[in-house]
Amino acid sequence: MTKPLVRATPFHARTAAANLENAWVTRNGITLASFHTDTNDEALAARLRVAMADISWRWRIMLEGARVVEFLSKLVTRDVSRLAPGTSLKALWLADGGGLRGAAVIARYGRESFLLAASAPDMDWIALAAAAYDVKLRDMREEGGLAIVGPYAQATVNAAQLTADLEPLAFRKLSWRGIDVTLSRFGEHGGYEIWCAPDDGILVWDRIARAGERFGLMPAGVAAMDLLDLEAGIVRPERDYAPARDGNANGPSAVALGLEFLIDPDHRTFNGRTAFLAAREKEAKRLAGIEIDSDRPAPFTPLLLKGSAVGHTLRSVWSPALRRAIALAQIDVSAIAPGTKLTLTLPPSLAVPELRTSEARVSALPFLKVPDPIVP
Amino acid sequence: MSADAIVVGAGVNGLVAATYLAQAGRKVVVLEAKDRLGGACRTASFASGFQGPTLAHALYALDPRAVAELKLARRGLKFAVRDMPLVLLRADGKHLVIGRDVRAAARAIAVHSRADAEVWPRFRRELFDLARAMRPFWWDEAGKKMPAAIGMLHRLGLAAWLDSQFESDAVKAALAGDAAPLSPLAPGSSLLLVWRAAQEMCGLQGASAIPLGGPGALIDALTAAAKIAGVEFRTGVHVSDILMKDGAAAGTVLDSGDEIAASLVLASFSRRQLLATRAGRAAFGFSQAAELERSVPAAASAKVLLALNTPPAFGGIAVPLRGRFVLADRVETFVTAHAAARAGRLPEELPMEIVFPTVGDPALAPLGQHVVSIRIAPLPRHVTGGWDAARLAAKAIAALDRCASGLARHVTAAQVLTPDDIAAGAEDECVESVERMLSHWPSRIRTPIDGLFLCGAASEPVGAVSGRAGRIAAALALREAAR
Repeated sequence: MTKPLVRATPFHARTAAANLENAWVTRNGITLASFHTDTNDEALAARLRVAMADISWRWRIMLEGARVVEFLSKLVTRDVSRLAPGTSLKALWLADGGGLRGAAVIARYGRESFLLAASAPDMDWIALAAAAYDVKLRDMREEGGLAIVGPYAQATVNAAQLTADLEPLAFRKLSWRGIDVTLSRFGEHGGYEIWCAPDDGILVWDRIARAGERFGLMPAGVAAMDLLDLEAGIVRPERDYAPARDGNANGPSAVALGLEFLIDPDHRTFNGRTAFLAAREKEAKRLAGIEIDSDRPAPFTPLLLKGSAVGHTLRSVWSPALRRAIALAQIDVSAIAPGTKLTLTLPPSLAVPELRTSEARVSALPFLKVPDPIVP
Repeated sequence: MSADAIVVGAGVNGLVAATYLAQAGRKVVVLEAKDRLGGACRTASFASGFQGPTLAHALYALDPRAVAELKLARRGLKFAVRDMPLVLLRADGKHLVIGRDVRAAARAIAVHSRADAEVWPRFRRELFDLARAMRPFWWDEAGKKMPAAIGMLHRLGLAAWLDSQFESDAVKAALAGDAAPLSPLAPGSSLLLVWRAAQEMCGLQGASAIPLGGPGALIDALTAAAKIAGVEFRTGVHVSDILMKDGAAAGTVLDSGDEIAASLVLASFSRRQLLATRAGRAAFGFSQAAELERSVPAAASAKVLLALNTPPAFGGIAVPLRGRFVLADRVETFVTAHAAARAGRLPEELPMEIVFPTVGDPALAPLGQHVVSIRIAPLPRHVTGGWDAARLAAKAIAALDRCASGLARHVTAAQVLTPDDIAAGAEDECVESVERMLSHWPSRIRTPIDGLFLCGAASEPVGAVSGRAGRIAAALALREAAR
């Protein structure tokens, strides 16, 4: 039997049923609902009530071996050696030349086992490096992942009879009414994630759907989750930036992507450290938000200050919560102050085929804070 | 125990580096894994009454600056043979002798091809001019810019270059022997010939020479110079790791677990050997490490020493026995040998370089008897079933016997070092490449670890007994330490 080109997730039967407009996208080789009913409704549900989203497309590998701590000290930009089992941290990994290759949650499962969960795979690099440290890699992508986000996320998890007293970045293996799951708080949106065996996917989906019913839970597609990420100022590889794939690449820069806080310069051993530290001072661009005085998004467009380019936008969307188009942008330090007025050219569209310019303002990130949990 | 500087490996480069460091006022200790000094440069007894060069049997790349500055002549370095003519041996007796006299060489070449005899003076002049233009680049750290004169040669295979100049197999095979580390088909292998011509021995460009007492005598002179400068030696100690402190080298860790502290470490390691240490593994980037792990040298060499109870005699055209003899029919002998080496097979014809150390230095053998030193390269690093030393020696003797008939009957003793034996000494770690020949000195000497410098043969543009890497590494290390 040949390997299928796209794989379905353990929740596929349910997402397919909820996918009323048959809108599918592929991410990391996995087919996912782009939206179920309407992207904006789903994003608002995640902001005001509660939403659940299939995040089984995240690349996950388990790293095991006696020298795994030594290996991770070399691989990632923060020190994992003092991480306690059941906790995690976020870190980056860099090419030899200092270019950003990826970002991940590193969760410690045991003394000699760590889970690495990332938005984009980088198997060649990590497998190559792990071999030198006798670290074994185990692909965990078969497992289902369901994210529950929104002010009522905790209430929903409680209502589903799952213990929800977890600190952010912590995780716990639980036996949940007859099935084994891992409950975690790796996500940036103040929610929870449930990781389960492939066969238990439908059961998990149904239990959460039922528990969240009274809080107005909606299944959210990839588009709504991408929108939440943008409102929170989160950049992900292969979506917001092209990660380095050459071993000696010196770009993209973690500094210009606002990810410098995930690099601990006092952690001496990480790959690409010398090159990163040398390039850090020279990097003139920083990540910022842009609020556009228009309802039309303007992705990958130059930003002008008094006629001269000071940066460019990255991904751009219409935000239903802010009721205007917003974008992430890389802007020169000189023009980064929130409120700085810039101009940009809106891309032509079917409705407005000619080029039009628009005013835009620099905004601090995140555009919107994560809402506090509501426990009824 | 502590010192200002540690030098790992007491080969020619290690000794040169140690002496320069000590002369600059540093307290230097040299650590050697073997029980005796010398690395690839040793003279040892291999049969009762017979001594011979264990590995290197002729010197052709010794750094004249190091020789002069370390006053090696005053420390006892004398030469038994100062300029060895190149001799191509042929089974049909039409041996080809190419010496320093251009006209005599042209006359010898004319036996094989009149056209080639006419080309030879011009070719040799152009080669030597080009080689001199490349000297600053290969000889000094300051020589940063690649001379424009090199033109297309860094992309041209030696076979193609020789084909464009000469028609006779004999001339081409003789010259190809000097570029044996790379296949004559490899792009840029022409540069090896230029590099060889850029060297200088005993004041003569492109010469090969043998020290009186064999290559071990060079080590004796260097050791004497080092001891006068105040260098301390420890033999039989194996360095297992680089001691690290605050992200920089702070000394060495020995197999015994002992640590020796020093703020400067100069190691005769190749980059691959450095990667095998824990500190090296931590310091190299993943991509660099993968590159190093891929670049395993395909070709190795073997060394055979024979004891002869009679002077060697060759039929046909008279040959000077103080020469260096190449045994290869055609350029293709080297091409197929390289292909066989890559495939892990023993080549049909063994390309050999032969030297008779006892011709210039009769003290190495009992009166009237002789030593034959044979270097066989390229050979595969491993062959299926393992190396059979006796079979390798028999094959080499048989090949030699075809040109010097009856020689096999006069062999009274033999010592064979197979590629396995040589690799065990870890002196054959260099990966020859055009990139290496055209890279700058600091890029070969510096490491990702501050305070650690590579001063061994692997830091030379081409692996050879030279001392230049030791001299330049010492200068670089002292300059960076002063910062």
